[in-house]
This record gives sequence, C-alpha cells and structure tokens, in this order.
Amino acid sequence: MADAMNMIEVDNLSFSYTAVPLLSGLDLEVKRGSFLAIAGPNGAGKSTLVNLLCGLLKPQAGTIRLEGRSIAEYKTLQLSKQISVVRQEFVPVFGYSVLEAVLMARTPYYGRLGFGTAQDRQIASDALAATDTSDLALRPLSEISGGERQRVFIARALAQQAPVMLLDEPTSFLDLKHQVGIYDLLKKMQVQEGKTIVAITHDINLAAQYCDEALLLAGGSGYFRGSPGEVFTAKNIDKVFRVTGFSGRVGTGSFFLPLGQYARDREPM
Amino acid sequence: MREPLTMRLLLARLLPAAAVLCAVMLVCALVGTERVSLARAMGLADAGTGYDYEILFRIRLPRVVLAAIVGAALACSGAVLQALLRNPLADPYILGISSGAGLGTIIAVISGVQWTLLGRSPIAVFAFAGALGTVWLVWLIGRLTGRRQVTHLLLAGVVVNAFFSAMIMFLTSIANSSQVHATLFWLMGNIMEEDPLVLWISGGFVLSGIVALFFMAPSLNAVSFGEADARAMGVNTGLVQAGAFAVAALITAVAVSLSGLVGFAGLIVPHGVRLVFGPDHRQLLPLSSVMGAIFLVLADTLARMVVAPAQLPVGVVTALVGGPFFLVLLVRYSRRVDWLTR
Repeated sequence: MADAMNMIEVDNLSFSYTAVPLLSGLDLEVKRGSFLAIAGPNGAGKSTLVNLLCGLLKPQAGTIRLEGRSIAEYKTLQLSKQISVVRQEFVPVFGYSVLEAVLMARTPYYGRLGFGTAQDRQIASDALAATDTSDLALRPLSEISGGERQRVFIARALAQQAPVMLLDEPTSFLDLKHQVGIYDLLKKMQVQEGKTIVAITHDINLAAQYCDEALLLAGGSGYFRGSPGEVFTAKNIDKVFRVTGFSGRVGTGSFFLPLGQYARDREPM
Repeated sequence: MREPLTMRLLLARLLPAAAVLCAVMLVCALVGTERVSLARAMGLADAGTGYDYEILFRIRLPRVVLAAIVGAALACSGAVLQALLRNPLADPYILGISSGAGLGTIIAVISGVQWTLLGRSPIAVFAFAGALGTVWLVWLIGRLTGRRQVTHLLLAGVVVNAFFSAMIMFLTSIANSSQVHATLFWLMGNIMEEDPLVLWISGGFVLSGIVALFFMAPSLNAVSFGEADARAMGVNTGLVQAGAFAVAALITAVAVSLSGLVGFAGLIVPHGVRLVFGPDHRQLLPLSSVMGAIFLVLADTLARMVVAPAQLPVGVVTALVGGPFFLVLLVRYSRRVDWLTR
C-alpha cells in the first residue's frame, strides 16, 4: 500500500472540534515533488488539515503518513527537518529583525550551545535573496508591511530546508505582482529543489496555473480531488461555494470569474 | 543597525559586562559609612588589619554578593516569563510568586516560629515554600482551564495574586504592629547580611538556573513567535514551557526568600537590555543576569548610604532610580519599542 512515489499519504482521516465532523473520511496522496493546492469555503477545514499534516493536531481517526511513516511516530525535531510551515497569523511581541527571524529557522540544526555556523547564515541570506527581501534584513519585523512579512515568513520556511512546505494562504496580503512572484517562487522551489508543496489558497485561478493537484474541501465528508481542471469546474464551485460565474479557458488551463447577483456581466437568470 | 548574534559577539558583550560587575561589586563593598581600605583588609599594610578585614569580608562583601544573586535571578526570570507569556509587561512576580511568598512570610511572622533550616530564618523558608506553592497552583489552574493557553495562565496568576493579597491584608489587619513592621519591610524588598553558607547554596542554585535557561534560549526565541510556529521549527513547546517556567520560578523563589519583594528589577532590566542589544534570548538571558546583578548591587549600596546610618528598603531605591532611568532608555531607543506601543 505504501507507495514510494508518495511523500504524504492521508488515509480515511477524520477530525472535528465539535460534534459536527469538520473533516471526515478524507483520503489524499501527495506525490514527492508535486504541488497541491487546497481550496474551499471559510470553515471547511483547510487550516485544520494543514495543522493535522504538520502534526500540530492529532487525527481522531485515520492516519497520516510522511515518507511511509506515521506522523505520530516523528519527534517534533525530526518533523521540523521534514516539514516547514508558513502561517497566516503573526503576533509581534519583541522587536526581532527580519534576519533574526529567518535565522531562527536554523534552530533545528543548531548545536548544543544554540549557535549557528557561517553556513547557516549563508542559507538564511540565500532565502532572503530568493524571496526578494534581502534589503529588509535588518528591519524590525513589526515595521514592514503585511506583504513583505509574508515573503519573510516564506524565506524562513525556505531556510528551514525541509523537503515539504505547507503554506496557509501565502498570498493573502499580497498585491498582484507579489502574488505571482510567490507562485513563481514556489514553482521554482518545486522544480529546482524537488520540494513537495501544499498550499491553501483562495485564488483558484492562480492555483490552477501552478499546481499539479487540487483539493476542494466542502466541509464534512464532501471533497473533490484531482487535477485543477477536474476540480475547479463551475459545477463544483457552485456546489461548494454556492457561487456562479463565468468559466473560460486560457491556453491549456481554465479560469473561473465569480459573478454575484449585482455583477455587471451576470446573465439574467 | 543590529547584527544577528554570533557566539563571538555574545562573548564580546558578556565578558566586559561581567568585568564591570566585578568592578562594581568591589567598589560597592569598599564604600559605606565606614571607609574600608582594600590594602589594609588584604593585609598588605600592617595597621588595623583585623577591623577592615572584618567589615569587608564579613559584612560588606556577603551583602554585595547577595544583591548580585538576587538581581541576576530576578532579571533573568523576568526575561524568561516575558517570552513564555509573550507579554512585555510580565515580570517574575506576575504568576503569583509575590503574593504567595508574602503570605508565607506573614504566616511565619504571626505564628512566631523560631527555628532555622540551612541557616535560614523561618521567614525565608516560608517565603520560599509560599512562592513555589503558589506558582505550582497557578500552573495547575492554567492547565485545567485551557491547555497551553498563556492567557489562561496569566488570568489564573492575576486571580490567585488578588486572592492571596486579600489574605495578606486580612492577616496584616489582625496582627500586632511590630509584626506588621517586620512584614512591611520584607514586602518592600530588603537586603541584609547573610551567612556565607546561604550565599553559596542560593548562588549555586541561581547560577545553575541561569545556565539551564541559557540552553533553552533558542527555543524561547522560537516560542516568542507563538506555539504553532515554535513547533514547526522543531521546538518541543510543552517541555520548554514547563521547564523554563519551573526554573524561572525556582530562581525567583530563591531570590524572594533572600530579599523579600524587590520590585522593578525583573521588569526593567530585561527591557533595557532588549532595547539596547535586541531581543535574542541567547544574549538577553546572560546579559540581563549580569545587568540585573549590577543594577541591584548599585541600588543596595544607595539604599544603605542615602539615609546612613539608617537603611532604606532596596525595593524603594530600585523603583525610584530604576523608573526614571528606564524612561530615559525608552526615549533614547524609542524607535525600537514598537512592541510597547502597539
């Protein structure tokens, strides 16, 4: 059953915070070096799924395997060398600089005294360069914009040098240029460094252009899985989001423009 | 511009700071109501050897060392609690240590027990037990109400603090005036001469506590970004939180049992170090310890000089001198204090 091609295997996964199941009977395989986009309405369990995948939450039923081994068997330190996580929320408390924050990703590799080497510093500055944040290096994290901070946290995940990257809405605060920039960067990491990427996104059009597989969560036991073309169809979107609109094709892919009740180009029903 | 920390940079700052601490301790031991000559005390000159030696080595130095131990313990544990609770307003007493120790003290005073344990008076022993007992209680309540929620821990601390403070006030109001005076001096923070054995034991405790906390410093850095982020960066947060919390509580309890409630040192010293040198805990913890020691040695020297031959409680001096000094730092480095204004 264990397939060496698969980085992550999710088998009959169930989880709920209340009596109402949030995720139920979810099966999922993420191939080594592939790009999975997860979409779905608010509260459908996207962030919960990411927290389950990185071991922060324990499944109530079912298993999650990483490289054929159950996530529960990994120690926190081992897991951090396999999976890096980029989250949405950020609570600034002390005035860490950008470079200090990115260097912190090297913590799992530090020796007993807790200090890194010149190599760790090189890795951190490479990560800053890759995310176009080198000139922010010495600025306090709390003084840069939300979009800049998003890129810094992606830099931190890169510096952690884990084969799997989990991202919770990595482009949520970004302008168009940086949205595309982040997806290009993730694609580059996937192709050049063989990273396995799992990203939550609300932008299904952009995701469709970059990801290999898509997962559309509907909440409970409902979900759609497959290639982005199969998953992000007008029919599925209507079913999951209860939103209709215009779907068209661009090159080999497709796109979907949601049109609300009072949208100018909404066809009279 | 702040460079990220390296081992070399840390030593380049820590060693001079330690040298300054030694110099300050020596100078503070030599000044006082009686002038003491170092040369005479060390027996280099022949006249009056015994007298200077007695004052320096039996009275002044133990007191200066005691102040250094208390200052280091409070500053270090203040820095740790600010990180664990992700709250810049946290100090070593925030989770009920102060009121627990205070309650222990007043019970010791009122019950009038007369025995010693390892050279310590009942007040010190009761204060120590009260401090640790309260922290344990707060930790327990925090765990019961919400797992791994620092807000719950903070709330539990505030409530327990308020409850025990009320009990202290109740006991104070039924105690007689001489007992109240003894307690009041303790509550304000007071440093006195102590037995060398006491200094060795508590100094050893505090120093090993600080060293242990230093090894947790990279994890504390990660924990400052929240628990989920810290876990993702490979930190066993449950272990680090419980461990750092226990060690910080222990060294605070030692400090409190030595000197009563010396306020302010545990709050402003870590902030001062952070303002000037940055928030990295690998540097913050050792530097705060040294700076806290310097701060309290100076404050205690002032406390015994200003109204000599009488003495002020050192807690009065730390607040009177430390407050304005901190404000100057705050203004001087205000560009870096965004976490206070948000």
